[in-house]
Amino acid sequence: MTEDLFAAMRQSVIDGDSDAAAELATSALAAGVDPLTAIEDGFVPGMHEVGEQFRCGDLYLPDMMLAARAMQKAIGILEPEMLGRSAQRRILGRVVIGTAKGDIHEIGKNLVGLMLTAGGFEVHDLGVDVTPERFVEKVREVDANIVGISALLTTTMVGQRAVIAALAEAGLRDRVKVIVGGAPVTRAWANEIGADGYGEDAVGAVTVTRALVDA
Amino acid sequence: MTRMRYTASFLGESDRERVHEASLRILAETGVRFHGKRALPLLADAGAQVDAAAGIARIPRPVVEAALATAPRSFRLGARNPAHDYALPSPVTRYAIDGTAAFTIDFDTGERRYGTRRDTEQALRVFQAADMGVMAWVPVTASDAPAGTRALHEFVAMVRASSRHGQHELHTREQVPYLAAALAVAGGGADAVRERHPWSLIYCPVAPLVHDGPMLDAYLDLGTLDLPVMIMPMPVAGTTGPAGLFANVALANAEALSAIVVYQLAHPGRPVIYSSATGTMDFRSGAFLGGTPEMGIMSAALVTMGRFYGLPATSAGCTSDAPEPGPEAVIEKLVTMLPPASAGADIVVGLGEIQGDQALVLEQVLVDNELAHYVERLVEGVGEPADPDFVAEIAGVGPGGNFLASRVTGRAARSREFLAPTLIGRHGYEAWRDLGSPSMYGRAREKVREILAGPFVDPLPDAVEAELVRILAAADAELG
Repeated sequence: MTEDLFAAMRQSVIDGDSDAAAELATSALAAGVDPLTAIEDGFVPGMHEVGEQFRCGDLYLPDMMLAARAMQKAIGILEPEMLGRSAQRRILGRVVIGTAKGDIHEIGKNLVGLMLTAGGFEVHDLGVDVTPERFVEKVREVDANIVGISALLTTTMVGQRAVIAALAEAGLRDRVKVIVGGAPVTRAWANEIGADGYGEDAVGAVTVTRALVDA
Repeated sequence: MTRMRYTASFLGESDRERVHEASLRILAETGVRFHGKRALPLLADAGAQVDAAAGIARIPRPVVEAALATAPRSFRLGARNPAHDYALPSPVTRYAIDGTAAFTIDFDTGERRYGTRRDTEQALRVFQAADMGVMAWVPVTASDAPAGTRALHEFVAMVRASSRHGQHELHTREQVPYLAAALAVAGGGADAVRERHPWSLIYCPVAPLVHDGPMLDAYLDLGTLDLPVMIMPMPVAGTTGPAGLFANVALANAEALSAIVVYQLAHPGRPVIYSSATGTMDFRSGAFLGGTPEMGIMSAALVTMGRFYGLPATSAGCTSDAPEPGPEAVIEKLVTMLPPASAGADIVVGLGEIQGDQALVLEQVLVDNELAHYVERLVEGVGEPADPDFVAEIAGVGPGGNFLASRVTGRAARSREFLAPTLIGRHGYEAWRDLGSPSMYGRAREKVREILAGPFVDPLPDAVEAELVRILAAADAELG
């Protein structure tokens, strides 16, 4: 019975079916299934399967996005119950992400956020036009170990440097890894401003973030 | 008599209506988010339903129709040198250099690096020699200028280096007085700038359905100078726009209309230029793609929509995602240039850049100019016969003869009917080898060297230069 339920959960993620995933999560709670087990034995294997097929080229980015969204929906239902039992799901890292101050272009940041979520990270999205102080505040609040700053414009990419400086000033620089990205951002720029990683696209961002946490 | 031009139709009459109606629904039902201070009050006063907390205005049909009624159908894009004035609409397609790339492929080292003001100067000197060009734009952002005044430095660098019509952007309201002063100095006074329109603004809504605040406010402030605005929505099918060409065209059109509404509400009759720069996504990486057949098709369809509204109609095109200059770039540029040109665009914006509009290549400016000639030749079509009595000419030659010594052939060799390329060689193989195997890009490099070693065309008077330097220094002191 539980095996069937887990198989259905796995399939709901592979199918990117958020409604089915939510329904299965709700049913699992009603049936007394441990929420952490439901996540880790039901939904996570689906995400692994999707990731594998994506790497092989059988699935495309939108498939990955749909799967991530289905998984998020299920976790959203299961997590409160899980936390109530003082249990924690395994995550690869806790990410605070946003666009640099003055920049309201967010598609790249959104892509990276979803891909990191799909890849097993817990992502806290601060949205657009984010001040360095807000990044610092959120890192403290959620005890993040990764910060991602996106910028589309050459005039706003300087804001990435400002976030790194603010993290240093707050005494947080040693406990977070900083990744940067955006159309005008290069590896050389990332090095110049003292970032730890740079991704040319969303897939690259996940690869570099995994490497930063030794995953 | 038919012109026998090659024209392509990417949206039939009923399709244009469908796009228009869908756009009106998007504007009225979903609405558009306006950041900034000036747009929402204007829209509310005009009858839009404004959700102040969300910053969203739902714009009803009559407001859109009123804006379309006040937007001018024709006007002249002036130029610092009046010989380069360009009237809109135009019976032919002409070109603008691409703008605001982050990078330059260094002409001497071949390395990719961040752009500078000098790159803009050099590129616009090359562009000035590109005979299919009519509109300058700042091709690379100036990493050597302070972020707070960068757009001003870029704008002034363009004004200096090009005597053609020039367009660029501004980022904040605080920059407005400095730009207004600089343009008045370079353009012979504010009244002359207002009257001749030698410079305009490029405006890109943030897809989907968002308008940047500081930039829009600044552009509305500049309505007092009557600077024309090229409205260039950029939804990317699959990421910031729906993953279908028709739907993405409708979204781009809705965004363009929303901008036209605001500019016309603030300054009825202010010149606006309908444009677009759509893209598609790489379904594997999510990356932006600007050099695809789908982009070319959407550009052409949106040119058709601009014409549907009776507005000057332009689009991005000649765009490429290729990592380096070469065959991939040329293929992508052709498929994104020919469709809008064959749909009758007044201007196609995109010469000189690759890597998804992110890298300027000096020799590419001239290669793209050559490509523009090829496209122009295609669009001109069959045309009327040079010799109306061609049947008699054929009879005169008769079966088995030839047309080599015909006067018609002699005239044809000098006519526009047969394109004579300037960068593409037409040597036989052995002759080509004997010449050292020259390439199109190699010839373009030689030409770039010649241009940059030659005299500066239409330089600004020293007194104007000095005043511009003073204005920029004052801007740096306050905003830099």
